[in-house]
Amino acid sequence: MVLRVWQVALQLAAAVNTFARLNGNVATRNALLAAGAALMLITLYMVFMWVPTELNLGVSQRIFYFHVPLGWLGMLSIIVVAVASVAYLVSGKEWWDALAYSAAELGVVFASLILVTGVIWARGDLGWWWTWDAKLTTTLILWFIYVGYLMARAYGPKGSQGARIGSVIAAIGAIMSPIIYMSTVWWSTAHPELNVGPAASDSDAIESSRIYYTLLVATLAFTLLYAYLLVERYALRRSESELDELHREFAVHAN
Amino acid sequence: MVNMRRIAVALAALVALCEVVAAAEGAYVSAADGGAGAVVVADGPPAQQQLRGEAELPWLFAVYAITWAAFFGYVFVMSRRQREMRAEIAALKRALAERE
Repeated sequence: MVLRVWQVALQLAAAVNTFARLNGNVATRNALLAAGAALMLITLYMVFMWVPTELNLGVSQRIFYFHVPLGWLGMLSIIVVAVASVAYLVSGKEWWDALAYSAAELGVVFASLILVTGVIWARGDLGWWWTWDAKLTTTLILWFIYVGYLMARAYGPKGSQGARIGSVIAAIGAIMSPIIYMSTVWWSTAHPELNVGPAASDSDAIESSRIYYTLLVATLAFTLLYAYLLVERYALRRSESELDELHREFAVHAN
Repeated sequence: MVNMRRIAVALAALVALCEVVAAAEGAYVSAADGGAGAVVVADGPPAQQQLRGEAELPWLFAVYAITWAAFFGYVFVMSRRQREMRAEIAALKRALAERE
């Protein structure tokens, strides 16, 4: 099972590398954006026109269709960072490190959005902005891990040593992902029970409902947009590496 | 172009599938008889519940606005950095070629 997940992760990463090569595959990247945007339009139609308002939470429940996909991608990102970091250490190929860095930066964006959308939802529905319960606190820790990773890469040693430090931070972050997901099961929290995924109990599950299908389409839309952002950020990271290389070359010529 | 057409067909099929599945289901979580966009309430006067729903709209708007602002802001910053970087790379390459 672990081997299979690893193989799939490697294939996905290789696909990202193929998409993101500069001066090529622009049409594919645009198609990714177009598909994401189109699916997002369908998501908005479903959220505001198709899905009924939930019984207990009222209108604010529609935040769910943005908050949950953002949460999924925020947690996925740290796993991408960890897999790419380990792959870099094993293979020594620089593009793995570029992928890890790009996913970490996207992770900060998505983890920030999880926190922001979560606190707004809590304020609107429950009347408070923040409480130090397990789900919220572990998500905040994940945000700090992303920021820590980027700071370590920016201000720490460069090259393979920096990547090694980064991979340790990413590994800690990857352990956090299942802890965040299971936190409502393991601890008593103010956050709603799990109603999506393998750990959702039958009484809380939302399968076979309009809510479920809307969430599914929203998750697909956000995942496509995430893939687009990752590819673009990865291309930018490759440009940064190319620029660094040119600066070094220029300095050698100047001397 | 062919890809785009396929994507459009796939998306249309997805919407149609959702409609068919939802129609076949007959009952939905917490809103069995409400239909699209309806406010179905458990207890209390309906007018009061409707008001509560309306009072929550600014929070809903804030979440969607912030998410979109973050997305477009990030895309804008990335594209600007990419453009600047490509210009700098081109300038450095020119300078190197002149030195050689």
